[in-house]
Amino acid sequence: MNDNELSTAVRESVAEIHSATPVARIISRGRSVRARRRIPRVAGTLIVAAGAGLALPMLLPSGHPDSHPARIQLDAWTVAKQANGDIDVTIKQLKNPAGLQSTLRADGLPVNVTFSDSASDDFKVVQSASCRDYDLGLDVLNAVFHNTYAASGSALVINPSALPSGVGVNLFVAPHAEYWTSRTPAAAAKPLAPGTIPPHSQREQALMIEYNLVHTSQQCTG
Amino acid sequence: MGVGNQQLDFAEFYRSAADECLRTVLVSVGDQDTAQELVDEAFARAWASWRTVSRHPAPKAWVVRTALNTGISRWRRRHREVPVPDLARVADLPAASGASARLVDPQVMAALARLPARQRQVVALRLILDLDTARTAEVLGIAPGTVMAHLGRAMAALRLALQPQLQQENQS
Repeated sequence: MNDNELSTAVRESVAEIHSATPVARIISRGRSVRARRRIPRVAGTLIVAAGAGLALPMLLPSGHPDSHPARIQLDAWTVAKQANGDIDVTIKQLKNPAGLQSTLRADGLPVNVTFSDSASDDFKVVQSASCRDYDLGLDVLNAVFHNTYAASGSALVINPSALPSGVGVNLFVAPHAEYWTSRTPAAAAKPLAPGTIPPHSQREQALMIEYNLVHTSQQCTG
Repeated sequence: MGVGNQQLDFAEFYRSAADECLRTVLVSVGDQDTAQELVDEAFARAWASWRTVSRHPAPKAWVVRTALNTGISRWRRRHREVPVPDLARVADLPAASGASARLVDPQVMAALARLPARQRQVVALRLILDLDTARTAEVLGIAPGTVMAHLGRAMAALRLALQPQLQQENQS
């Protein structure tokens, strides 16, 4: 049996399967999703373009009561706290992780931040030795972390109010291996045909943000 | 584009992609009801973000990735307490149980269910959704070389499991 025959057998094994859901029901459900401002999520890992100047779209109200301005924007990273308490984190360069960590902690987020210069492609979550992983399942992870699709220009959004008591956040950021690159802004202006991958000449280094939940402690999350 | 046109655009996308996405997720998760729910939720999210998704270079891949990442919705867990199927157990269930058993090839599905989850996902994306290696790697967040390695191992395991069946079919 050659690969073609085997592939055909696999395809034919589900060829009689058809979706039973009418599009009207999907659209109705989509409206609910939109109304609740739920957005597509990636559990655990987010790839963002490095150095691309990703813009956060929201405008923050004046008179923000927190201990630092509502929006901290540096060349390396940006932290913006939304009116609903969500914290938007955009990382463009691997600089000053301690500053990012202290900024997020000042926003009330128990967090441990690690930057690595070593490119990786194994998607293994790395955390400080002082942190202990807290596996509460995908539902909690998705309630705490979400992101708009990376191409839309936003990055990781953290919802601190969804964190159960005693649970903190671990962020690990590193360059991804060469494959994980995003289109340069100039290249991105030209649409690609569906299903095509941009050539390497149109790409730039991408960053990988990995996130997970950890037990809070003085050593780990401050 | 107005909302009406967007809706027509999305409806056309759904019509052309729903079956393929459902089959892909079914091969990945092994249970038709679960696959249907995950794909429905992923398409609903696609509609909720249609302005973004419609510009995605591979919207079907977006839907499948979202479905695989979503897991069973909180709503369903709370109200119906349907767990994610244990594929190792599904593979041992009698092939005739359930409505979907009449629509899928039980021996192929059982062979797929015995593969590790990642290999199953690679098979689904490469063979059912017909993505190339690079796009499959992107969807799964792994290196292209890893995709090829998973596919090679999966095909070898499937060949071992299905060869007697296919030979029998060819002889008859």
